[in-house]
Amino acid sequence: MTDPTSPLIEINSVTKYYHTTAGAFPALQGIDLAIYPGEFLGVVGKSGAGKSTLLNMITGVDRFSSGEVQAHTNGKSISLSQLSENELTLWRGRTMGVVYQSFQLLPMLNLIHNVMMPMDMSGLYQPVKSRQRALELLKMVELADHVDKYPSQISGGQQQRVAIARALANDPPLIVADEPTGSLDSVTADHVFEIFQHLVDEGRTIVMVTHDEGLLPLFSRYVTITDGQLTGEGGQP
Amino acid sequence: MRPRWRKVLSDLIDNKARTILVVFSIAVGVFAIGVIAGAYVIISQDMGVSYAANNPSNIEIRLDDFDHDLLNTIRHFKGVKDAEARRVFKLSLRSPGETRWTSVDVVAVEDFQENAINLLKPISGAAEPHKEQILLERDVLEDIHASPGQILELQLLDGTIKEIQVAGIVQDASTGAIDFLSPPLAYITMDSLKFFDEPDLFNRLFVTVASGQDDEEHIRSMLADLKDKIEKNGFNVGRTFISKTHQHPLESTINAVLGILMALGVLIVFLSSSLIANTLSALLNQHLRHIGVMKLIGGRDQIIFRMYLVLLLAFGLLALLIAIPAGGQGAYALAQYIADKIGFSLLGYRIVPLSFVIQVAVGLLVPLVSGFIPVISGSRVTVQKALDGVRTQSSGGEDQETLEGGYRFEHFQVKATRALADRGIRIPRQLLISLRNTFRQRGRLLLTLFTLTMGGAIFISVFNVRITLHDYVQKIGNYFLADVTLDFERPYRLEEIEQYAYQDPRVIHVEGWAYATAEILLPDGSTAENITLLAPPAESDLVSPMLIEGRWLRPTDKKKLAISEGVYDYYPDLRAGDSIPLKIDGKEELWEVVGVFKFIGLEGVIGYAPYEYISREKNLANRSYSYRIVIQDHDRAAQDAMAKDLDAYFRAQGFHVLEATPGLSTLDSAAESLDILITFLLIMALLTATVGSMGLAGTMSMNVLERTREIGIMRAIGATDLEILRMVIVEGLLIGLLSFVLSMILAIPFTYLLSAIVSNAIFATPITVIFTPLGYLIWLGLVVVLSSLASILPAHNAARLTIREVLAYE
Ligand SMILES: Nc1ncnc2c1ncn2[C@@H]1O[C@H](COP(=O)(O)OP(=O)(O)OP(=O)(O)O)[C@@H](O)[C@H]1O
Ligand SMILES: [Mg+2]
Repeated sequence: MTDPTSPLIEINSVTKYYHTTAGAFPALQGIDLAIYPGEFLGVVGKSGAGKSTLLNMITGVDRFSSGEVQAHTNGKSISLSQLSENELTLWRGRTMGVVYQSFQLLPMLNLIHNVMMPMDMSGLYQPVKSRQRALELLKMVELADHVDKYPSQISGGQQQRVAIARALANDPPLIVADEPTGSLDSVTADHVFEIFQHLVDEGRTIVMVTHDEGLLPLFSRYVTITDGQLTGEGGQP
Repeated sequence: MRPRWRKVLSDLIDNKARTILVVFSIAVGVFAIGVIAGAYVIISQDMGVSYAANNPSNIEIRLDDFDHDLLNTIRHFKGVKDAEARRVFKLSLRSPGETRWTSVDVVAVEDFQENAINLLKPISGAAEPHKEQILLERDVLEDIHASPGQILELQLLDGTIKEIQVAGIVQDASTGAIDFLSPPLAYITMDSLKFFDEPDLFNRLFVTVASGQDDEEHIRSMLADLKDKIEKNGFNVGRTFISKTHQHPLESTINAVLGILMALGVLIVFLSSSLIANTLSALLNQHLRHIGVMKLIGGRDQIIFRMYLVLLLAFGLLALLIAIPAGGQGAYALAQYIADKIGFSLLGYRIVPLSFVIQVAVGLLVPLVSGFIPVISGSRVTVQKALDGVRTQSSGGEDQETLEGGYRFEHFQVKATRALADRGIRIPRQLLISLRNTFRQRGRLLLTLFTLTMGGAIFISVFNVRITLHDYVQKIGNYFLADVTLDFERPYRLEEIEQYAYQDPRVIHVEGWAYATAEILLPDGSTAENITLLAPPAESDLVSPMLIEGRWLRPTDKKKLAISEGVYDYYPDLRAGDSIPLKIDGKEELWEVVGVFKFIGLEGVIGYAPYEYISREKNLANRSYSYRIVIQDHDRAAQDAMAKDLDAYFRAQGFHVLEATPGLSTLDSAAESLDILITFLLIMALLTATVGSMGLAGTMSMNVLERTREIGIMRAIGATDLEILRMVIVEGLLIGLLSFVLSMILAIPFTYLLSAIVSNAIFATPITVIFTPLGYLIWLGLVVVLSSLASILPAHNAARLTIREVLAYE
């Protein structure tokens, strides 16, 4: 984070095959990509191009078939392939916040508990501290008046803002977002982007997937993915 | 509260129906175990203590009339701690205004103050009768409505009717305990005997031994010594009984029955675990996305595993909250019920630590064990799969395996439908959908079928066992075929009795029987057991024995007998044609066993020898004390009426009648005690059926819940509520009927097993199994009703949701 020229995440020759009844399907083929601290990186491509698959390789939600992903976070370098499922989970919980198109909030918990959950899981914050922090985060995404509501009682845009607040709970250096505005109307989406922009200005690193080429100007840099391969790059690195 | 525990709490509270289902299915098993274990402990502790508290006699000897001389001899006999003598005679009692007489055994006690053996416990009124008053044992109250102070009518042997006042009600836990079939008791003082026209003499001895009160060997040898002594003093000894001080004579029977109930309780726990496993794996299926989300934000396996473990424990704790108090109450109620029936008292309500511990262990272990595998696999699932699971679920709720199963079924279904259509049979599309749905979740279907089938099989078996037991009692009745037994105080000639009896047009046959008592000796010459030898005419039709081997009596038999299978206890290798040593009238003789027959093992050994031989040996040729009378109608009412009329008639003619007993009366009380057992079995059967139907209800609601989206889509494309309702109900019925077919089959081995265990416990002999359609029919009805009910509620819920709600459902 301190040195903008040494990458936060390095993806080297990563391939990913899905094994289906029809045979092995190559969803990613030899991806090389570095993610630098403080950048707002866009991953764009058509539906089915492999964007979500690529994100899953970074978050450790799914395993790549070959290659390596290295993370240089919290002063340590780790190869994701070396981590067990549990270590990956703990690492992900502490170093990155994940935002999905479908919000993925827990319906039985109110907003504040949803935001507190990652802090509870990682054990990085004391319960009292984590409640304060969750309140601050919800205030930041302008939901301070709704902390006791349940996800089903607020709008989609509000839910996505809760998801962002939750992604920030453990104060991670990296935010990974898969079509975060996919189910939102343009006004609501703009609001979400404002929050992201604000986070980037704060110095956080964001990787965001979208199929909407209209969003390109927002990114500090973007890569294009087509049929599992990186086919283009733009913006100022 | 930390968010993770908040989530666990919400999981518990939000889906109340599911929580209740799981909690109740745990609670049913824990309750059953608690009741039985608790009752077992309470009874085994209290039965012995309560029995011992009344200082029961170790030896009871019935003999000729005797006085204080013999009593003093016995009191000073070596090894005797205490001896008391009483006079016991039969009497008929009724409340004034009643028509029916109740036969009671009246016990004349010399001194209620000094009474030290077979103590009486006062229940109400006076604890001692004054002269010409009577104390009633509380069993009498089952037949006669009486309270202290009330006047009852009694009938003496010569037919005179007198009035007597009830002094009080007492409980006698000892005197009747040994003899299952003995009539209820009443007590008077010796100086009242004259009032009853009885001689001022004793006819029973009650003895406690000085040492080895719980040593059966010792008590038995004391009995043999006492009998020798009594016979040397010139008295004839009749039936004798022995009992340990701290063990109720029926304890082993009760324990055997409780053992059977325990086995069923364990089975219920087992069934409820499979039900819980089913519910929990469905729950984890529904929670897959939540698990995925938690892993996404850093929740490790251990955390998630622990969260669900706590959820399981919470289910268990909630179940315990219901089951422990209910089980404790139930245990005491069951123990109380048994205590009342058997005639002992409990030491008071208490929590049985053992059963508490067992309940806690079962209540916590059952959810843990049955939920362990689903929870482990749920917490190990990868984020990708967990989030994917949701993806496939929302598009149909099937995993790869069931999809293939579905396709295979679809394939089969298409073929089958075509084959049927070729023959002009068309299966309604609705039924096809239901059929397909039934087989969609095969693991769940199997568990549901298992639970319901077991419940049904036990239910059906209990009915079969009931018929089997009653049939056996009926067969035992073949030893008592006479409609009325007429006993006299002195022997009368057969022709004389026939002449009078045939005056009544209802009488069609009269037979004189003889009796003898004997002792079976062991090869070393010691006494094994007393037996009663009944001596009907060899050609008598009034005994139709269940012969195990050998033959029945012949008129020419001399020193030959047929003996009940109880003899195998002493001569296990006995064959027809072998001889055994008997002691009869003080003489040791070798008798040939011509046949062995089945009887109630608990009633000891009985033997039959021809009247022709026994009467001559007793110098009673052509005469008899006891007559068997056959009349036209054989029902209980006709027998009762006849017994009463014969009694009155013979008394009026100046005969010294002892009593006239209707033939079925013995059987009725035997059948009654069987019914207690059957009631317990039925309760257990209902509990298993409850678990089974809860399983079905759970399965149906899970099936419907998981298909909520699909049902919404069906409705969106025009299916009516009624069609959806029908689809779900047909699915429930299909499962119910499938389980019924399986239960029918499984009930066969269950019936054999249960009959064998029960008959060994209460008859101490194996019995022939009989099947009845009754259990099958009732269960069929129950299954149809239960499975419709189990599906109506979830179906109704599903049909009630608006399309918008359903499509928003995740
Ligand atoms: N679990 C899976 N099994 C088999 N194939 C998969 C699986 N997940 C994705 N794929 C395939 O891999 C390819 C890339 O999928 P991916 O989800 O990464 O696309 P995407 O770029 O995110 O598309 P979208 O914009 O629609 O979200 C697609 O062709 C998809 O069909
Ligand atoms: Mg995608």
